[in-house]
Amino acid sequence: MSKSVIVKNVSKKYKLYNKPSERILDMISPKSYGEDFYGLRDVSFEADAGDIIGFVGVNGSGKSTLANILAGIIPETSGEVEVRGKTALIAVSAGLNNQLTGRENIELKCLMLGFSKKEIKEVEPDIIEFSELGKFIDQPVKSYSSGMKSRLGFSISVHIDPDILIIDEALSVGDKAFAEKSLEKMNEFKARGKTMFFVSHSIGQMKKFCEKILWLEYGEVKEFGTVKEVIPKYEQFFKEYKAMSKAEKKKFRENAMRKQSGLEPMSTS
Amino acid sequence: MKSALTVFKEQINSFYLIRRLSLYELKSNNKNNYLGMLWEVLNPGIQLAIYWFVFGYGLRTAGQGRSDVENVPFFAWLLAGMVVWFFINPAVTQASKSVYTRIKMLSKMSFPMSAIPSYVIMSKFYPHLYLTAISIVILNFMGQTINIYYLQLPYFMFSVIAVVIAISLITSTLSTIVRDVQMVVQSIMRMLLYMTPILWNMEDLLNDRLITIMKLNPFYYIVEGYRSALLGQGWYFIEHFQYTLYFWALVLVMFAFGSFIHVKFRRHFVDFL
Repeated sequence: MSKSVIVKNVSKKYKLYNKPSERILDMISPKSYGEDFYGLRDVSFEADAGDIIGFVGVNGSGKSTLANILAGIIPETSGEVEVRGKTALIAVSAGLNNQLTGRENIELKCLMLGFSKKEIKEVEPDIIEFSELGKFIDQPVKSYSSGMKSRLGFSISVHIDPDILIIDEALSVGDKAFAEKSLEKMNEFKARGKTMFFVSHSIGQMKKFCEKILWLEYGEVKEFGTVKEVIPKYEQFFKEYKAMSKAEKKKFRENAMRKQSGLEPMSTS
Repeated sequence: MKSALTVFKEQINSFYLIRRLSLYELKSNNKNNYLGMLWEVLNPGIQLAIYWFVFGYGLRTAGQGRSDVENVPFFAWLLAGMVVWFFINPAVTQASKSVYTRIKMLSKMSFPMSAIPSYVIMSKFYPHLYLTAISIVILNFMGQTINIYYLQLPYFMFSVIAVVIAISLITSTLSTIVRDVQMVVQSIMRMLLYMTPILWNMEDLLNDRLITIMKLNPFYYIVEGYRSALLGQGWYFIEHFQYTLYFWALVLVMFAFGSFIHVKFRRHFVDFL
């Protein structure tokens, strides 16, 4: 099968500055200021066309960072990302203009994605229908509830016919009926052989939907494999993590911090 | 130089998008007001009235203020120069912050980032066309009738768009990296209102050397050009062809520099948020 996404040794380094002046100094002087923080470190994996991959990990493990890098929203610091095809990122209320109405947002978004006037007119009814917004479609987006926003965002993104779909927690806000409808839509994409990435804290949804799981810890790949292989291990880990005492949890997080500051060598998993 | 070509091509290729997006921009700016787009005309009108009151009426009765300038009533003179300032000022300040306020929404789009300042500038240009039309009507009522020199208006409109785009490429990039730049831009624009012959006729009051220094400001050229056209005072860009050369050289240099830093940093704009 052909590859649709190849991620090779990707790292994302952030700089943490204690003072605004450090930021300027870091920019103009050759000396380095501020602390390093690795959101992702040396992440590599490959996805075949038609794969559905879930990203799991505790908060701050780099799931959303990876999703954003795949979508091309933030640049990677080093490494290579090869994405074949058009991507669409679905995140809660991503990229909606609050001042404009839902309908204008649909037009604006499609326009920015390079649709012609005619094509926009064609997909608009479908998007409105799918979003179930009814007469709210002509109200400004700022009056929407978060569920409505994510419904609109979701229906725009699925109707622009992307090759690669990246879903970042977006389904957790809609109600059950909409979540089911979205899953149905995603199954349709699955049947059409599109690649999908799925960031969610709901292991239930992951099990139901994904084929492969990428488990991130401290911004590194802890495990990558099929759902059957990885999920039980993750569940096991999560149970242990939850059972940890406060002090242990703190230690775990401190450990993570130290690793992500690049002070400690990488784990070899 | 290569990046200047890249940006130039991007501008041409996304011209359709720039036009369409600017309409949405205009809409979303005026959505909250009951009077909507009318404010794009009302606001300048109010400002013009107060400037006329202070400079044309108030100071004059004290014995030292502006009287007629070159046989043109002060109000007509003020209006002819001010009308383009109502485009320059919002266009420069809005375009400077255009990148960092919009990048979250726009970062993954199938159009180049260099189009962001341009469409913000375009969205200010429509009201400018209206304002110019209204000004022409007022000027005609005041006796500054329509004349052959109006033909240079399109040229000066093109020039003002060119210079604003060139400046905003620089300022939008810098203000994304260092947010303070936006404050600097705002202060400079406020200063330039007085450093450009809009409210007072510099050529009467300053000596030649100072005038030459003042003329380094590219908006001097634009304002005087508009005035020549609207008041029928001559073919400004031909009569001052050396100034025309300086103006376009400056635009080119700024455009090249702006493109260079824009292209250099644009991939990392998101990181600066």
